[in-house]
This record gives sequence, structure tokens and C-alpha cells, in this order.
Amino acid sequence: MASEPDRALVERMMGGDERALAEVYDRHGGPAYSLALAIVGERADAEEVVADAFGQVWRTAAQFDPSRGSVAAWLATITRTRALDLLRSRRRRARALERAARADTDGLAAPLGAADAPDRGVQRQDARRLVTRSLAELPEPQRRVIELAYFGGLTQTEIAAELQEPLGTVKTRMRAGMEKLRGSLAGLLAGGEA
Amino acid sequence: MTDHRWLELAAPYALGAMAPAERAGFEAHLAECATCRSDVQSFRDVVGLLGHAAPAAAPPSGVRERILRDARRARPLGTRRRVLPWIAAAAAVVLALAAGYGYWSARVAQTALRTALDSARVRLDSANQLVTAILDSTVGTADLAATGKPPSMRLFWNRARNVIVVAAFELPPAPAGRTYQLWAIKKGQAPVSVGTFNTPPSGRAVITLRMPAGFKPDLSAVTEEPAGGSPQPTQQPFLVGAWQGG
Ligand SMILES: [Zn+2]
Repeated sequence: MASEPDRALVERMMGGDERALAEVYDRHGGPAYSLALAIVGERADAEEVVADAFGQVWRTAAQFDPSRGSVAAWLATITRTRALDLLRSRRRRARALERAARADTDGLAAPLGAADAPDRGVQRQDARRLVTRSLAELPEPQRRVIELAYFGGLTQTEIAAELQEPLGTVKTRMRAGMEKLRGSLAGLLAGGEA
Repeated sequence: MTDHRWLELAAPYALGAMAPAERAGFEAHLAECATCRSDVQSFRDVVGLLGHAAPAAAPPSGVRERILRDARRARPLGTRRRVLPWIAAAAAVVLALAAGYGYWSARVAQTALRTALDSARVRLDSANQLVTAILDSTVGTADLAATGKPPSMRLFWNRARNVIVVAAFELPPAPAGRTYQLWAIKKGQAPVSVGTFNTPPSGRAVITLRMPAGFKPDLSAVTEEPAGGSPQPTQQPFLVGAWQGG
């Protein structure tokens, strides 16, 4: 029997079914934690973020809208928002920048080849591989601004100050990079559950 | 639609990387431009995938138990019935108005709308449903006005769902970098923010906001605040009204 789709689990969560929450965590807790850790940089903070994020998912399951994207994308959005909130509230942005600067060539995202860490599901493996590769294939300056925005929560103005580049340059790079990503990820986006 | 400079803003907007001042202007434009809305959605889809690029890490084993323990204490919102007819009707009206002149900024409204559309029980000609819903005995109302002159607002608060539908009339858009903010006020206490919103150039809007849980205000008021809203009002309200009924 095929496993129950994510969205069916979310439906069950709306009815207060804790086993559905447990299953959603088993499927998506790892990626959520990985994302939180990439943003906040410390395991204890990442744990806090994940617990908060799943708490929100539980309470607001009724707000999930399948027409707007997959459960995984919804979870990633909530997790990222929570993580960036924490980053800001604890003024750890400076630390993230430091890491970003240190990771000058590696960036904040997973290096190529690291996408095969133990994980659930072929679909997710494919998604990880494709997203990691698509980012890696961007010209470095474009990838950089996107990572600073996504993982660092920085605005374009802040990125320009951080990189000491003109704001116009940052804007151009961000748009060009995002358009390339939209192109290279089109297959995944059409595929739904990623 | 000619020389569409706005399209450049969809990607940074979806990434949340836009400076606040710029964002307010773009959101006003989004309310009226389907092209940019669909562009934003396509970039949101991309952003939704970027989390996959985080280096894989295994969560500590205690997190799962903690999440489940917390869940036992807090039941999901709206557990009993997914879509109340009232929400569906209000959402349908919001949708109909949005096509012409409506504008709503609160995510709650979008969520209510999407949930409602999902339900496939919504008919766009549901004015009757809305009327029925507003006559529901749990619905309180408040008329907000300056001195009987425009602008004015009428609020409907469905206490059962803790949702407020705001109808604004002849309220011009907030200046660039500014927003309107609705407050709930219990006499003798500090105002509590219900949410921020803006109006399109037509000055008419239907917005859905959520009342802070458990809060039972005597009054509501509207101020103009810096984009993003303020923790407390920074100026005298220009619209005030008392809650009635319900
Ligand atoms: Zn546009």
C-alpha cells in the first residue's frame, strides 16, 4: 500500500489526530531541523525552532492550502520564518554573517555531493540533489546574495552593505539568480510533493 | 502594465529580502496586478524548495517527544469544523471585491479565502450567505467613524471564529512607507493590535483580521503607523467606535 499522502496527514491533524503529527514529524522533522540549523547555527536553537515550528503546524493545520504548494514547502516556510525570528531576536545575525564570510567559497548551502546523506524517500533525495546542484551551478555572486537572503534573512540593502557592493548590483544578481533557479527547478515545481 | 518595472521586485519580495519601505509600495501594486501576483507565487515556489539546500543534520531524539507532548496541551485551531459557512461567505465576498477594488493584507484573510475555495462549497453569488452570517447571534459589530464624515469603517466580529471582517469606505491608501493599524481596546488597558492593512486608491476594501484570542474589547480604533505596524499606537486614532451586540 502506498503511504498516506502528506496532505491527508494534515487533514487528520486538523481533527486533532496526534499520530498524524508524529508521522508528519517523522517525514519532515529531519529536513526542518537541517534548515533551522543552517540558519541559526546552534543545535539547541535549532531544536527550539523545530519544536516551535511543529507546534505552529499542529495548531494551524487548517490553514494549510494544497493549491499553494506541498506540505514540505509549507513546513520549510514556517521553519525558516521561526528560525529567522530567532536569529533576529537574539541578534545573532552578526554570527551568521561571519559564517557566511568564512564560507566564502562554500556558501551556506550544502556542498555538492553532500545531498546523499541518509534521508527518507527517493523523491526527497531527488529534490535535495536538484536544489543543491541548481544552487551550485549559479554564478557565485548570484548564489551568494540568494543565500544571504534565504539563510541569513538579510534584505537587499543589508546584503549590499555586507558585500560592499552597489545596491543595484545586488538586485540584479538576486533577480538573475532566482530566475535561473525558477528555470532549473521547474520540473520539481510541476511535480508537486517535493 | 507597460514598462513593468515591478516585475523586478517579485523575486526579492518572495525571498523576504525587500527593504520595508519598498515592500509597502510593492504590496499596494500586488493588490491590483495579477501578473506580479503570479510572478511572486512562482518565486515563492522556488523559495519553498531552497530549504533542501541546507546541509543534512539529524535532530536530537528528544525533539519528537517534546513536540507530541506540547501538542497534547494545545488543540488545533478550528478543529471541529473546517470551514464555517460564515468564513466561506466572507471569503467569497472578499474574492469578488478583490477582483475590482478589494485589498487585504492579512495572511489570515488569504488563508480563510483559500480554505474556503478549497471546500468547493463556495459560490461566488453568496451574498445571501453573508447576510445570514452577519445576522448570526455571535456576530458583534462596530461602526468606526471620525465625526460622521468619511472615511468610515464597519467591523463584523464573529466571536465563534474570532475573525473580524473589516469593510472600509472612502479611506485613501496610507502614504508610502506607512500602514493602517486596527486596535482592540478594553477600557483601562493598553490597546492590542488586531493587524495592519491598507486600501487601494478606490478607498474601499474588505479585510479579514483575527482578534487576539480571548480578548473582549470595548472599542476599536484605527491609526496610521510606519509600515509593518507598531506595538502600540504612535498617534491619536482617526477612527474610533464601540463594539455592539453579539
Ligand atoms: Zn505588476
